[in-house]
Amino acid sequence: TLRLIYTTTAVQRKNVGASGPEKYTEAFIKKQIEEFNLGKRHLANMMGEDPETFTQEDIDRAIAYLFPSGLFDKQARPMMKHPSEIFPEQRKIQWGEDGRPFHFLFYTGKQSYYSLMHETYEKLLTVQKYQDQLTDQDLPAQKEKRNLAGSRWLTKIELEEMLLEKLSDNDYSRCIQLLQKLMTSPCGDIEEKYIRKFTKEVPAQLQKVVIEPLKYDERGVAFSTSEGTRKTARATAVVYDNGTGKVTVNGIDILHYFPVLQDREQLLFPFQFLDRVGKHDMVCTVSGGGRSAQAGAIRLASAKALRSFVTEKEVEFMRQAGLLTVDPRVKERKKPGQEGARRKFTWKKR
Amino acid sequence: LDHGYALHTAAKECLSSAVSTDVQAPAERPGAVFYTSESDPANHTDHHEGRHYSIPLEEVKAVFPHGLPYRFQQQIKTFNEACLMVRKPALELFTCLKSSNFAHPAVRYVIYGEKGTGKTMTLCHVVHFCARQGWLVLHIPDAHLWVKNCKELMQSSYNKERLDQPLQASVWLKNFKTSNEHFLKEIKTRRKYVWGKRESTEMGRPLGEVVEQGLARVRNASDAVGVVLKELKEQCQLGSFRLLVAVDGVNALWGRTTLKKEDKSPVSPEELTLVYNLRKMMMNDWNGGAIVATLSQTGSLFTPSCAYLPQQLLGKDGFNALDPFVPIPVPNYSPREFESCYRYYLDRKWLQHEKARTEDGKEELRFLSGSNPRLLERLAAPL
Repeated sequence: TLRLIYTTTAVQRKNVGASGPEKYTEAFIKKQIEEFNLGKRHLANMMGEDPETFTQEDIDRAIAYLFPSGLFDKQARPMMKHPSEIFPEQRKIQWGEDGRPFHFLFYTGKQSYYSLMHETYEKLLTVQKYQDQLTDQDLPAQKEKRNLAGSRWLTKIELEEMLLEKLSDNDYSRCIQLLQKLMTSPCGDIEEKYIRKFTKEVPAQLQKVVIEPLKYDERGVAFSTSEGTRKTARATAVVYDNGTGKVTVNGIDILHYFPVLQDREQLLFPFQFLDRVGKHDMVCTVSGGGRSAQAGAIRLASAKALRSFVTEKEVEFMRQAGLLTVDPRVKERKKPGQEGARRKFTWKKR
Repeated sequence: LDHGYALHTAAKECLSSAVSTDVQAPAERPGAVFYTSESDPANHTDHHEGRHYSIPLEEVKAVFPHGLPYRFQQQIKTFNEACLMVRKPALELFTCLKSSNFAHPAVRYVIYGEKGTGKTMTLCHVVHFCARQGWLVLHIPDAHLWVKNCKELMQSSYNKERLDQPLQASVWLKNFKTSNEHFLKEIKTRRKYVWGKRESTEMGRPLGEVVEQGLARVRNASDAVGVVLKELKEQCQLGSFRLLVAVDGVNALWGRTTLKKEDKSPVSPEELTLVYNLRKMMMNDWNGGAIVATLSQTGSLFTPSCAYLPQQLLGKDGFNALDPFVPIPVPNYSPREFESCYRYYLDRKWLQHEKARTEDGKEELRFLSGSNPRLLERLAAPL
């Protein structure tokens, strides 16, 4: 027979399933908020700023200054934010002291989801009633099309966050279908405010980027400058109008600087895409990187410079062709215990 | 006709003048504006600049047994004709040669330019011109071949310090024979040359015998070459014939070699018989002819690849030896010449890709090759 001599507490705790995320009490959250505000005032005093007008941006800057970190993941760096952003929202206890739930749909399991569907359907019925009233009075049905292009529905994850409940794909699709029906039906404009809660703006990519106007140099020739990067190469390009297609890199002709055909093809691509092969001259400076990286950097710089010469539609075409995007691929870091970034050491059986 | 189609924006001005004045409607290829039926280089003028003229194949074999670049020879085989473009540097040389005074010492012309711009082709054009005129052409295809990759090096029998190269010398003698057959019968030797114990050439024998001797006895081939050069130099001054010395890759004569003696010590160019004799030829102490030389970085040893100016490639010794000379730069294709070359390839159906036939294709070719003849030819090859 075996006698139990010594065991650790970890082993004794067998077959206990992992509990969910820790539940925070309201008092705990309140205390965190008080501590946060106090800490904010201390921080403002430390930095020599006014505690009353110390915004979140100032906090971020101060923390980045006091605790500099070289970690790549922004979420992993030290941060000081309001507790509501750090601690995820949790549902308060849904039933009273007598054990009776507050909400009438509690026993469905997904109470907020079904209450949402209920509300939306009510709104749909009111809209249909209103429409019937209008047709009874022989008034024309108002149809004002809202701008659908700039908005999108909430994603499933966003809806889950809003309702604080897990949803299934089916539920989500039913909800969205109902909202769409509400929106597309005539006289749906009445409920616009309600629907807007479930939509998000999608700004077109182009509105963020500002296209610079052309500059004119002493001879009267239009030109534009811009920069481009690829891996470790940095390039600046100046594209002149009324040219013959001559390209100079660091004072050297491209035939001598890029003897390989592939690099010259990369340089050719933006001009060929816009059908302006022999019309522009270019003078570039490039440093760093290797042969291919420098060619890619110059290509990006010239594409950005050509934006000022070209209509907005063509700029959109260029963006979709991938001429204006910075290539994010960089050399992957070598990991310890491996020979390279991915290559492992030769495996020996013994 | 294609005349209207050929009026392209880039070449409009040049073409309109050429089309109105040039009456020659090329017989072989109707509608091709970039050809000339003028096959005698002597009649080529600025008029014909940018146009291709063809050399009949028998003449090619007779005049250029060894002179043309390898890729051009392949092109001749593919297209079944040899077409050369008339360009400005060649025309300049023609005017100089036509107006040169043969009583003065021989003028030296050095053709230089970046890699692949057409220096060797210009030289071949000049050689063809002189051959048509009836000059004796001494054409050394590539002097670099004499200073590298030599399998057999023998000690010279004539001079103990120098080294012989029997293989290269015999190859050159063979080609020299094919190109200048009739001259070899006319020119007579001035002195007696003793080749060995039993062989010798008497005075007054035709030069052809010396060449035969060199070919038969390979050991004496380099000395035979030396004899030929000396004889030609002396006899040219009498004025019975004109001599053109055409050397490709002349910077090899004054550079370094990759050859080594048996004790692994490097060989300098003066120690090679062929190089030594050729250097004597390049001196301008004779009259009655001209010397045309090309600098070439492609085959040269121990020179940086971006060097193309005479000073950089010849070095101090070479520059002093060749000084004074007339430099002739050869640039890349001008827009008109590029058009002409492009039309030629289109006409011979060399560019098969559908996009190559469009305007965009042409602009792309122009950008990617930078109007460099060699790059354009290499680009067009797989299309």
